[in-house]
Amino acid sequence: MRLLLVEDDLMIGETLLDVLRAESFAVDWVKDGVMADTALQSEHYDLVLLDLGLPKRDGLEVLRALRARKDVTPVLVATARDAVAERIAGLDAGADDYVVKPYDIDELLARIRALVRRSLGRADPVVEYQGLRLNPVTREATRDVHNDGQVRTESISLSAREWAVLETLIARPGVVFSRAQIEEKLYSWKDDVSSNAVEVYIHGLRKKLGAELIQNVRGLGYVMPKPEVMPKP
Amino acid sequence: MMPPTVASSHSLRRRLLLSVMTAIVLAALFQAVTAYRGALRQADEMFDYHLQQMALSMRARMPQVPSQPSQSPQPSQSPQPPLPDRDEDSDIDYLVQIWGPDGIQLFRSSHSALPPRAVLGFSDVVQGGATYRVYSIQTPYQTIQIAQDMSARLSRARALALHAMLPMALIAPLLMLVIWAVIRQSLSPLERTRRQVASRTAEDLSPLADNGLPDEVRPLVQELNLLFDRMHTVLQAQKAFVANAAHELRTPLTALKLQAQALHRAPDDATRDVAIGRLNQGIERAIRMMNQLLALARQDGEQQAAPEPVDLGPLAQAVASEMQAQAQGRGIALNLAAQGTPAWVRGDAEALRILLRNLLENAIKYTPEGGRVLVDAHMAEGAARLVVEDSGPGIPEADRERVFERFYRSEEATATTGGSGLGLSIVKTIAAQHAATVRLDASPSLGGLRVTMVFEQPAQLSGEAASSSSMSP
Repeated sequence: MRLLLVEDDLMIGETLLDVLRAESFAVDWVKDGVMADTALQSEHYDLVLLDLGLPKRDGLEVLRALRARKDVTPVLVATARDAVAERIAGLDAGADDYVVKPYDIDELLARIRALVRRSLGRADPVVEYQGLRLNPVTREATRDVHNDGQVRTESISLSAREWAVLETLIARPGVVFSRAQIEEKLYSWKDDVSSNAVEVYIHGLRKKLGAELIQNVRGLGYVMPKPEVMPKP
Repeated sequence: MMPPTVASSHSLRRRLLLSVMTAIVLAALFQAVTAYRGALRQADEMFDYHLQQMALSMRARMPQVPSQPSQSPQPSQSPQPPLPDRDEDSDIDYLVQIWGPDGIQLFRSSHSALPPRAVLGFSDVVQGGATYRVYSIQTPYQTIQIAQDMSARLSRARALALHAMLPMALIAPLLMLVIWAVIRQSLSPLERTRRQVASRTAEDLSPLADNGLPDEVRPLVQELNLLFDRMHTVLQAQKAFVANAAHELRTPLTALKLQAQALHRAPDDATRDVAIGRLNQGIERAIRMMNQLLALARQDGEQQAAPEPVDLGPLAQAVASEMQAQAQGRGIALNLAAQGTPAWVRGDAEALRILLRNLLENAIKYTPEGGRVLVDAHMAEGAARLVVEDSGPGIPEADRERVFERFYRSEEATATTGGSGLGLSIVKTIAAQHAATVRLDASPSLGGLRVTMVFEQPAQLSGEAASSSSMSP
């Protein structure tokens, strides 16, 4: 998941950055409205965490400009302006949700997850694919193992990056993601991207989940096939 | 507004009514008493005159026999009964007796007891429980006495006197009514204004309507409106400040909350150490913010201490040495210009110290590591000057006015320092208290910001200042 953090306060920004990264989000952090505009026009994000009181360009303007470009990226507004009129203005300008400072970090993460889920058209927070379940809240992956007619649930340990790759692919079964697209979800600007990193994570996932789960489409990228197409195990 | 008990004893209307009504009542009483007494006296005189005239006219009608004094008893045998009879019928008040020269009663108008012969002329005679006014005249042949019952006479006189009082008795209440109405009418704009003020909420400081008010009251209402206006401005500023302060406190508090939660989530010691460090920074920032708010509130609200002579030189030195550690922490050379003549100003030493500290803190904060900050206090053109300059990025000309606004932070300031945005507001407030001007421009020697404060006070206090204890760090 790639996330844009727009926050002008240094202390809030660096703390949020660390927490979000620990949650395996790829986070870019900008500190003013103009930079936010630039970032939103040049990159694709799964979610924007937007402060409204920004230097150079007001957060609401950034938001309106984003919506004016027909960009549907989910926007979570986080601000100290708590008057009802302000909240209404924020939502009307195109915000998807609103948290008021000082907010709780768990609440913020839950709202981020909910917005991402909704933007993917899902209601159930747990993502399921052929007996494989990803719980974004607990960051736990489980798999049903069929053994002599009995079904046993087995927990799978995934690294943060492996999780991020799997989360990306599983969100849209049947859609082929190029390596660059996957990298985009994994890394923020500051990260060094090694040339074969994605292959390494795919390899790790195949080893843990079975080789047939993620298919390689030569020259295009990777895909998790739609369940109907997939042969029964 | 005033409590009603106090207000009532000072009610203009009540006082006016009371005094005017009292005056009317007193005047009416005086007039009534005078009229009554005048009428009585006049009636008295008139009745006396009547008595006299009656007696005289009776004498004229009595038979007079000057040539036959021997026959004097004779006329008594031939009196004219119809005359006294008529008298008795027409006016029972008057009692007439006539005596002959020998003392024999020739005529008597009534059966009732009559006063005996009395002195000639007027006299009062008491007879049978009644008082009579008696008039007697004597001719050579008879003595005529006419008496009038005083009680009847008095009651007639009283009736006349009361009649004389009547106009005043009627006019006085009417006059009171008219005056009451006039006063009430004249004071009604005041009452309207009073109601207008009384029905206000504490928040409502809109001007009072002054149309229709009398000239005596309008200036008062106009002054009140000006006061309302000033209060409104102050109140708005206070409200804005409180709202801003609450808003600005949210940011450091949000940071604190996040930092605490991040600490809680830290998976290992290294992360935890980082989180603790950040939490401490956050606490420091919140404390700094509180202190700045407090300093500003104090400078805003309190009456300044009595101004005392302060030499800016030693003060600058004291504050600069306090800040030395902070400057060295960032590798900044904080220097004091060589001291020349003392730079005396009249003011509050503690406030000036806060001002200097804020200026130096700002300079140190915004100057990149390895930079320079220079403080200089001197006299120039008869005014004390305080100059703080640095080798930092300076402030663009367009922003130089705005930096004095409360909670305003330049973009650079926000991105790099996380200050409260109050420092220069505090500087401005304290400068205003000391009638000093603050100018921001580019430092010619260091290239960064130069803050120049000119204390416009006349420097006539250098003499008296010499004896004062001056500043000690």
